[in-house]
Formats: sequence, C-alpha cells, structure tokens
Amino acid sequence: MPIFDQGYQHWDGRLSGQATRWVAIARRGVTVAMGNRWTRLTVLSALGPPILLALFLVFWGLFEQKSSFLTPFLIFLDNLPEELKNGPRGFRTTIWTLAFRQFFEVQLVFPMILTLLVGPDLISQDLRFNAIPLYLSRPVRRFEYFLGKLGIIAAYLAAVTIGPVLLAFAVGYAFSLDFHVVLDTARVLTGSLAYAAIVTASASLLMLAFSSLSRNSRYVAAMWLGFWFVSSIASGILQSTVGAEWCPLVSYRTNLDRIRDALLDSETSWDRMTSLGQVSPRSLPMRPFQPRRRHHRADDEAPRRSPWAPRTYPWEWSAAVLAALAAASLLVLTTRVRGLDRLR
Amino acid sequence: MLFELQDLTKNYGRVRALRGLSVTVPQGAIGLLGPNGAGKTTMIRSILGLVAVDGGSGRVLGMDIRTDRLAIRQAVGFVPEDDCLFPGMNGIGAVAYAGELVGMPTRDALRRAHEVLDYVGLGEARYRKSDSYSTGMRQRLKIASAIVHDPRLLILDEPTNGMDPAGRDDVLRLAVDLARNKGMSLLFASHLLPDVEAVCDHVIVIGHGRLLLQGRIAELEKPHNREFELRVKGDPRAFSARLAEIGIATEPVDDHLLVALPEGTGPRTIWEAAQRAGEQVRAFRPRRSTLEEVFLGAVEEDA
Repeated sequence: MPIFDQGYQHWDGRLSGQATRWVAIARRGVTVAMGNRWTRLTVLSALGPPILLALFLVFWGLFEQKSSFLTPFLIFLDNLPEELKNGPRGFRTTIWTLAFRQFFEVQLVFPMILTLLVGPDLISQDLRFNAIPLYLSRPVRRFEYFLGKLGIIAAYLAAVTIGPVLLAFAVGYAFSLDFHVVLDTARVLTGSLAYAAIVTASASLLMLAFSSLSRNSRYVAAMWLGFWFVSSIASGILQSTVGAEWCPLVSYRTNLDRIRDALLDSETSWDRMTSLGQVSPRSLPMRPFQPRRRHHRADDEAPRRSPWAPRTYPWEWSAAVLAALAAASLLVLTTRVRGLDRLR
Repeated sequence: MLFELQDLTKNYGRVRALRGLSVTVPQGAIGLLGPNGAGKTTMIRSILGLVAVDGGSGRVLGMDIRTDRLAIRQAVGFVPEDDCLFPGMNGIGAVAYAGELVGMPTRDALRRAHEVLDYVGLGEARYRKSDSYSTGMRQRLKIASAIVHDPRLLILDEPTNGMDPAGRDDVLRLAVDLARNKGMSLLFASHLLPDVEAVCDHVIVIGHGRLLLQGRIAELEKPHNREFELRVKGDPRAFSARLAEIGIATEPVDDHLLVALPEGTGPRTIWEAAQRAGEQVRAFRPRRSTLEEVFLGAVEEDA
C-alpha cells in the first residue's frame, strides 16, 4: 500500500507565542520522568517529613492554646522549662524556626535523590541521540531549551521543597487560631521559601551541567553522587587534618546548610532555647537530628550555642561558593550545548 | 516567491562558506545541488535563521532572515540530514512533541501527530519507542515531525541518505505527493541527482558558496543538436551495424540506440539509412542533457 494512501489534511489551527516554548519542553519532560516508578515513589516518600512537620505545628498550635486534646501528652512535656510551658506563644518564632530547620535537615535528602533520578537523562540523552538540532531548528532558542530542561528538574525539586513548606505553613496557620502567627513566622516563611528556592536552583543547574558533560546517563549519575558524597567526605577529612576555617566550604551539603541557617536565623533561635538552661537537644519535643560536629566536640548538655550551626565562617562564603558553582554550571552548559552556527 | 537571498556572506573563521550568494526561488519543489563543501547546509541554516550571516540579506516566505528567525522556523518544516530523534519517546509522542515545540496546542498536536504518522506509513509503529525504529522509519518519523504543523515550506536535507531502495522510494513518493498534490513547497537538498529529478521541478546548483546555476529542470535539460535517441522495430544491433558502415557511431541504451551524428550529416541521414535497410523507425528524438550533465557542467565551469 502506498505510504500516502491515508491522505494528508491541512491544519489551520493557531500557533501559540514564543513565551510557551520552554513550558512545552518542561511539561513533556515532567511527564516522561513521572513514568519512572522510582521517581513517583520518591515524590510520595517526600511527603513523610512535611506531614510530620505539619503534625508538629498542629501540636504546637494546640499547645499554645492549652488545648485539652493535649492532656494525654502533657507527660511528655514535663521536662520543658517552666518559661516555655507558661508562655508558649512567646516562643512561637523560635519553635517554628527550629522545626523548619530540622525539617530541611531531613528533607534535603529527597531533592538530592530526585536530582539523581530525573536529572541525568535531561541533556545527556539529547546529546546521545543528537536531539539538539531538532530543538534548535524549531522556534526554540538555546536559552529556552536550557530553561525548559531546568524547568523539568526544578519542578520536581520544588515539589519536595517549596511545596511542603507551603503545606506545612498552611496547616500551621490553620491550627494556631491566631492572626499574629503570620507576622511572628514571616521570617521563617520567607527564609524557608528562599532556602527551598536556592536548593532547587542550585541542584538543578548543577545537574544540568553534569548532564551535558556525558552522553551516558550512568556517568552523569555517578558524577552527581561523587559530587555529593565526595565533597562531604573531603570536607570532613580536611577539617580533621587541615582544620582551616574554609574547610567546610568544600562540602556542597555544608554550604547549603550554612545558607539555611543564615536564612532562618536558626542560631538565634537555638541560643534562645539554650538560654532557658534546661533545654538540650534531647529535651525538645522534636529532638533535632544530631549534628555533624566540626571544630568543637559538643556535649549534649554543655553547649550554649547551636551544635548544628557551623559558625566558624561567614555564610557569605557559602553563598559565594554556591554562586560560583552556578556560574560554572552555566559556563559548562553554554560550552557543551552549542548552537548550530558552526561548521559541522 | 519562496525565498530570495541577496549577496549572502557567511564565514566560519577562515572558511568562507557563502560568498555573496544571491538567488531568487519560486514556489514549488526546489532541488538544491552542490558538491561537498559547496555551502548547502550553511544556506539552509541561513534560510532557517540558524546562523548569523556576515553580510547580505534574505527573505523567506516574506520574512527577513535576520529579524524574523523564529517566525521563519515556525512557518518552515525542517528534516535534518543527521540521524536524530527525541530520546525516550514513542513515535506518537515524538511527533506531538515536535508540534508543541512549534507552538501547537497539546490536543491539536496529538491529533495531528496521529494523522501525519498514518500519512507517512508509521501508523502501526506509533506506540513503539522511536529509538527502536529502522533507518527508514526514523527518516519518515523526521518527516512526520517536520510536517506536523503543516508548514508552507519543507526543507529536506539529504533525506534519502543511507536508506535501502524501498525506503528511499517511500521517501521520494512522499516528497512528490507533498509537493505535487498537497501544495507544500519543498527545498530538497541531495547529492543524488535522480532523487532530485524525481521530486523537483526547479533546481539550484551552488559551489564554493556561490550560485552556479538555477532554473527549471525541464529547461536546463536542453536537447542536443547532434545526439539522438533512436528506436527501431527490428534488431537494433543490425541497424547499428548499418549505421556504422556509413560512419555513424551508436551506443545501445536500454531498448534504444544513442546516435551521435558526425559533422556534415543531419537527421535525414538516419531516415535514408533506415529506408535502405528496410527498417521501421519507431522513435527518433534529440537526446536531452541529463541533470547529471547539467550539474557536472556547472561544477566544472566553476572549478
């Protein structure tokens, strides 16, 4: 049968404007990535910590209102300082800050896993199957191609960082029954959203750059794992051997943590908690994840300052490292994904 | 007018890809010929606004190649020469995605993808992963992706490269159908002259980044004064021997003879020889230049 027997119909529909090109790339990429069951599983699993956070905020809201619902649980709060028990509203900002800080400490693993699952194929497979000319010979600029690919991974990362933050705040506000909670926690909200956005943008850009470095997705995945773990291990080794102030900067994770603590001002919150005298990480309703101790060996009962916050260097250093990584990522992308204005 | 280029210049460092290329091309099926390195791909990329030209100007479908690059790419379909496909998608997904990239609404793109996949003969394989397609299927997938938004101009860059005869035939028939029955203008770049001859009615020959020749194929294939195609009823070998006796060289080609008349003779000599031999002449017409001769002549002249 001749291959054109089915006929050919002309299409006279309306084409959309230029602004939606990258959206088409991002939308298709998100759909394709969702076909991976591990991606779906990770996204679902990432709901766990925000649900716990939301439950904690509900608990705290009820505690502030001295709700009778909490009567069976009061026994667990016996070792809290009197000041805290008598005036919990005065500690609202502090508790929310520490709760969100702890939430991010745990939640950060999900964007990293999702980056590993979604990211490696993004550009490496386009390079492998020579798809770049297919994009660029259509009304898609290189910038829009990058933006679309960035949108794919950013959508997933935002879903497990920004999304949960908004969910937790909504639940926390709902159960606080106090309008002032919005003002009291404004810094926590803006800090959390800013941190989530930084994690999303930084990890997305880095993974795109890695993805453009190889045509083999496995190598890209290995690069990401290596970057994540090796930088942390190297930082630990340097801290224990060299011990210089800049050593934590080698770790990508530590830089993110430093930015988080600066944005949330969690150090101040921790100082306030420890100033109560009776509070240690173990006495908090939601015990913080034990920190990676750096220069000082902190005893649970001893420190008067946050054992988690790496206060040995200014947060601006970490911001500079992350900015430099982003700039390097952009440089790699523009070098590796070239336009068609060149000799073949 | 399909497109017109005026004094187009493009350099890649020291390499001068286009050297003042000027050409005006009417609507229809246009063949683009040229030896390797002639500037065919650069010309196509200039038309699509994919390269920043160093000098000159041009308009494609009335749009400026310098300022309306994206609008041109929206109105034009392009089938690149290289083996390329959108990874991780089945046939229907790849074609629909190509439509979305051009700006088609998602639903329209999907519906249209089904139509064009049927049209190119990939209807049965639409749900197969495109990276499992054969070379011919991939080529047809590229064509489907290029025509999904019903472009006014379809550019095919070496569309039959590396294909088996059946696949090549399919692609050529598809191109012919699009050009002659569906009203789509084609720019068909190929180094396979029979392919161009089969599809196009107009040809452009470029070399060293300049226009060497252009025109309708029918007009370029001029009749020869002294060479004729001759078909007789009887044995052509016997008649060939009779012609050799009077100093006329012949060459058997398929079912006819190619006759080269020497100086001082004319067609009348053939008729007289046939009469003497009692042979019946079934066809006798001036031989026309082939596209290959036209192409080689233009390239040699340029060299």
